[in-house]
Parts: sequence; C-alpha cells; structure tokens
Amino acid sequence: MIRIEKERIDEFIRALMETWSVYAPARDGKNTLFAPVEDPAGIDHGIFNTDKSPKEIFFPHSEVLFEFEGGEIKKVERDARPIAVWGLRGCDARSLRLLDKVFGSAWQKPDNDMFEDPYWKEKYDDSIIFGTACNEPRSTCFCNWFGAGPHDGAGMDVKVVDTGEAFILDPVSEKGKKYIGSLKGWAEATKKDVTKMKAAAKEADKAMGEVFGMDGIQEKMADLFLKPVWNDIGAKCVNCGACAFICSTCHCFDVQDEGKKGKKGKRIRIWDTCMFPIFTMEASGHNPRDMSKDRLRQRFMHKFSYFINNYDEHLCTGCGRCVIVCPVNLDIREVVREVMACEA
Amino acid sequence: MTVKELRETVKSLLTEGKVDLVIGWGKGTMPGTSTPVFIDTAEKADSLIFDSTCRNNLSVYFTKDRRALAKDDKKIGVLVKGCDSRSLVLNITEKQIDREKVTIIGVPCNGVVDMKKVVGKVDGKEILEFTDDSKKVTVKGREFELTFPLDEVISDSCLTCVRRDAVEYDLFIGEAREPGSDENAYAEVEEFEKLDSEERWERMKQEYSACIRCYACRNVCPSCYCNVCFVDQNDPQWIGKSPEITDTMIFHIIRNLHVAGRCVECGACERACPMDIKLLLLNRKVAKEVRDRFGSITGTGLENKPAMADFKEDENQDFIMG
Ligand code: SF4
Ligand code: SF4
Ligand code: SF4
Ligand code: SF4
Repeated sequence: MIRIEKERIDEFIRALMETWSVYAPARDGKNTLFAPVEDPAGIDHGIFNTDKSPKEIFFPHSEVLFEFEGGEIKKVERDARPIAVWGLRGCDARSLRLLDKVFGSAWQKPDNDMFEDPYWKEKYDDSIIFGTACNEPRSTCFCNWFGAGPHDGAGMDVKVVDTGEAFILDPVSEKGKKYIGSLKGWAEATKKDVTKMKAAAKEADKAMGEVFGMDGIQEKMADLFLKPVWNDIGAKCVNCGACAFICSTCHCFDVQDEGKKGKKGKRIRIWDTCMFPIFTMEASGHNPRDMSKDRLRQRFMHKFSYFINNYDEHLCTGCGRCVIVCPVNLDIREVVREVMACEA
Repeated sequence: MTVKELRETVKSLLTEGKVDLVIGWGKGTMPGTSTPVFIDTAEKADSLIFDSTCRNNLSVYFTKDRRALAKDDKKIGVLVKGCDSRSLVLNITEKQIDREKVTIIGVPCNGVVDMKKVVGKVDGKEILEFTDDSKKVTVKGREFELTFPLDEVISDSCLTCVRRDAVEYDLFIGEAREPGSDENAYAEVEEFEKLDSEERWERMKQEYSACIRCYACRNVCPSCYCNVCFVDQNDPQWIGKSPEITDTMIFHIIRNLHVAGRCVECGACERACPMDIKLLLLNRKVAKEVRDRFGSITGTGLENKPAMADFKEDENQDFIMG
C-alpha cells in the first residue's frame, strides 16, 4: 500500500499517462462522465457517481467496427496504449466485470464455446482499474444488495481510499500488485492511514440503506412472467431509453452500416435497448414485445432472471443511476420489492 | 386545496362510480420527486398528493399504446395542472381522446420544481429531505438546511406560464384562476432571435451535443404519439442512430416541427432529459411563431383546431415560398 499526498496526485497521474491512456471523472458542460485525461488538473476527484456510466470507455455508444470501400475491409486504428481508469466506483468496477462475462473472457469455461468480442478485449484485457472507495454513499446506492459495499474492491486492480489528506493505493489484483510494486518514490501507507481507512469503511457501511434479500429472484421472476403484476409495475413506464443508456450494465446493441450502402462507409455498433419497439420488431411487422409493459418486463427479466441463469450473477450492481434519471420515478428497488412480495 | 380535499374528491368519484380509474401523482422514492399512480380503489386514493414535485404531464398516459385506456369502456379521471389540461385539449381536438370518457380534475398549480435548479443551489450536494408549500422550498442534507422562494427553483416552463390552472375541466379542486396575458410570454425567445443565424446554430449545437438519444423527451410528451416515430423506422431509415451532432440535430429539429402548433410548452420533455438539455427554447420559438402568424395558442379551447390542422382564407401565408 502506498500513500500519495493530495498535492502530489497530479504527478502520479502524469506518470501514469506516460504508458497508459488514462480516463477519469470530469465535467462536460452540465454533466459528469469519464473522459480521457489530457491534463491531470482537469480531473474532478470529488465527483460521486458520474452522470454517464463508464461503460462507454470500453463499450462506446457508437463504435466503428471497420470501414469498407468496394470489396475492401479496413480495420480502424485506435490508440494502441492500454487503458487506465482512475476514480471508478465499486459498483462500476463490478459492472465492467459483468460486461467482461458477456464480451470478454471472464465466463470462458473449458466446456463452453462462448464468443469473445475482440473490440471489447483489446480494450479491457490490458486495462488497469484504479477504483475509488465511497466514503459518502448516496441514498440511491444499493450495492450492498448484491453482496458488495462502498469500500469493496471487487473488479478493481487497485483500490484507492481518500483519507482526507492523502490517497492510499491498496492493490487488489495481481496486476495491481505488480504495478504498485514497480513504482518508486512513493511512501508506504502508515499505521495511521490504515486506521483511517478502516474508520472510513465503517462509516460508509453505516451510511448504506438496509439490504433487501433477493434470494430466489430468478425463479420468482420466471414464475411471474405472465402474471398481472407486470401491468401494475409497468403502468407508469413511458418506455424511453434513459434507464438503459445511463445504466452501467445494460449492454444491448445494434449493428448498422453508415455511408453508401454496400459501397463505401463504416459498420458501427451502437447502443440499443429493449425499451425501444424496434428492438424486437420482426421483418413481418409482428412485434413479440408489442406493449410497453412487455418491454419493461424484459429489462427486469434480463437483469434478475436470464442473466443469473446464464452468468450466475444479477445484471445490476446498485449504482442507482436509473433511479435518478427515470422521468417517472420507476425505481428498480421498488420493482424488486414488488416482485419479491408477489405470490407466484 | 388540501391533500385531504384531493383524496376525498377522488374517493367519492370512485365510490359513486363516476370513474373507474384516476391517474394522479403519489410520493416518489427520492426527496423532491413524485411518481404517477393509478388509483382504482378508494383505499388507494390515500396515496395521492399534489405539490410542486408533481412534474409529470399525466396526459401522456392517454397516448401511444395507452390510447386504449380512453377508448374502451373504462371511465377515466385524470389530475391536471394548467399545461397538462392543454395537452388533453390538444389530444381531444386531434380526436385521440373522447372528451366524454375523461373526467378532468383540475388542481391549482404554483409551478413545479426543477430539481436540477435545487441541486445547483446547494452546490451539487445530496438532498436528503425536501419540503415545500405554495411559496417556498426547504431542503436538508448532511450538513446543511436551506430555504428559498419556490419561484427561484421552478421549471423554466413554469416561469413563463400564464395558464397555471386547467383550461378545461369537469371539476376543480379549489378555485381556478383566470389565465394571464400571452403578450409578453416569450422574452427569452426574443433574446435568442437577436442572435444571428450562425450564433443560433452554434448555441443549439452546443446544447444538443450532450444528447444520448434516449428519447425520454419524446416519450413523456403527450403531443408525440405517432404509431411509429420516424426515428424508429428502418425501411427506409430516415436518420442515423449514432449520437453524432448531425443526426441528433435532425432528430430534434424534426420532432420540433412535428409538434409545431401542437406543443403546449409544458416542459415535460426538458425535465425528463437525463442530460439536462434545454429543449424548450426551440419549442417556444415555434410556439411564438404559431401565435404571431396564426393567432393560435395550442390547447386552450376545445373549439379551436390545432393551427397546422386548420385553414383560414385570410391567414398569414407570407412564409410560403413562391
Ligand atoms: S439497473 Fe440501475 S442501479 Fe442497476 S446497474 Fe443499471 S443503472 Fe445501476
Ligand atoms: S423505467 Fe423509467 S427510464 Fe426506464 S424506460 Fe421506463 S420511464 Fe424510461
Ligand atoms: S414538446 Fe415538450 S413542452 Fe411541448 S408538449 Fe411535448 S413535452 Fe410538452
Ligand atoms: S431526453 Fe435528452 S438525452 Fe434523451 S433524447 Fe431527449 S434530448 Fe436527448
């Protein structure tokens, strides 16, 4: 564990920037997001959960897969440096790990033949994640429902704890240990730092709301699929894409060609969402998820049933972003409560 | 109006069988929020509230795939602020809603709070408690407590609103006030008009560049109810899907024109936007044109057709390029 006095943090980031392409929380106009760092002074270390989720670092809203002209296909060059993310919260670090199960190697088993997405892997595999422990969780945070907590280090390579006067860098993964081990010129964390870290973790835990038990939710969701409870839950949803686009774990996409059809242009992968009618519109004109409540149900089925069946985890890390942005205050925590309270 | 009056009124409507369902607002899960509620029993009516957090335009629940609500035999009641009632009127004049089947219940509005403005007042700190009355708002957080006048944090749409109470209703809880004058309602639009076209374009580009194309603005809008929106068509596909400024602007400008003479300036779109994009300016610019050229204020009377659906021989035609 090393300690970096706050006055020297820019120096640390600058050194990181020599080998890595660094992303960190920043303000862009009215909103906050993870942006490539050009000047460490532009990092806003005080930002809580960014308005936009960091999934876009590895899974951009719109990503060019390749360009084409005539019959030729051209790969698009990207910054060859590996990515370092600074200031990622625990929920978001775990979100990336969930996405790695879908796109990357985290769910590769000898007996399965899962597709690995090269566009994800070329960015995520070599990345290093500096996560920030949350000293002051918000009332919309519910990471503790998923077995995590504000000072949890899962999904991070290095956990960073703000003790007031310094950042303590606590390596979590092998990669993190190697990196911290390679550093020179930084002092070891002191006993006092460790005491402060423990106290901060305790305070943060206390600030969290109560854990709501979700045992058996995947079967429950499946049993309730055709039940009228979805009419009630779905009644107020206006079926926009705000929750899914702002979510750090939603990852559905569409693939489109832009440019001159079949001649010259680019193939892009863009975010899509089960909330949009066109997402499931079939060529015949039939839409299996025709009503808005069918589409809302899908979002929660995916998060709390299908994903658990497929990857053994909930597709939600409790970041609370959707709770904040939903224009009709359809709170995912209420949905879970309603589902769990339902007799199948 | 007291909350008690509101609840009692709704209860008697339900028990007397005058309505089968009332759409209203209930308490939200975060401080300063409310959430739409669907009340079909007298007991449930106890969850109803009305205050400055009731920012949703509930008329949206009569449009899109909820249209059926007002078409089958159910008798539906809905709580409306001034702007919401104008949305209903628009939808009635456009033959989307059968006037006979809706019971319109007016509630007195003093403006709805824009939480982004409130958060701005406390430097982005988290608000843990929110209370309001017709004149002021008090917020509390970890280490602060602050009270300020309601008018400082109401939505921009409410600042310029001259019809705070329903323009059409079956019953009004409390006393409906007379509308004010539309004469000087567009000061900020006039400021915008002073910029030259390049400056206007730059300003719009800057504002809209944060758009993530989630379509929350469209989906909360009671005037946006096409069976299939042009952005959701793919054969032909009218518009690129990436959040690039060109396509984003096409989306917004076309939506803007599709609601020309139909937008009631309720501001629901702007409040729904997760990226805090100021959408109302362009809408109000068009509304002002409609007022000046056609003498029409959208959704203010059942006898008035929406400007774009009407033709008068003597109307202003100098915008038609010949
Ligand atoms: S569903 Fe909501 S709380 Fe869960 S990860 Fe997505 S945005 Fe966060
Ligand atoms: S839950 Fe809320 S944010 Fe999500 S689609 Fe429905 S209205 Fe939009
Ligand atoms: S465009 Fe916006 S302001 Fe106009 S009616 Fe629709 S939601 Fe209201
Ligand atoms: S709600 Fe905001 S971010 Fe979403 S499409 Fe509309 S303007 Fe864009």
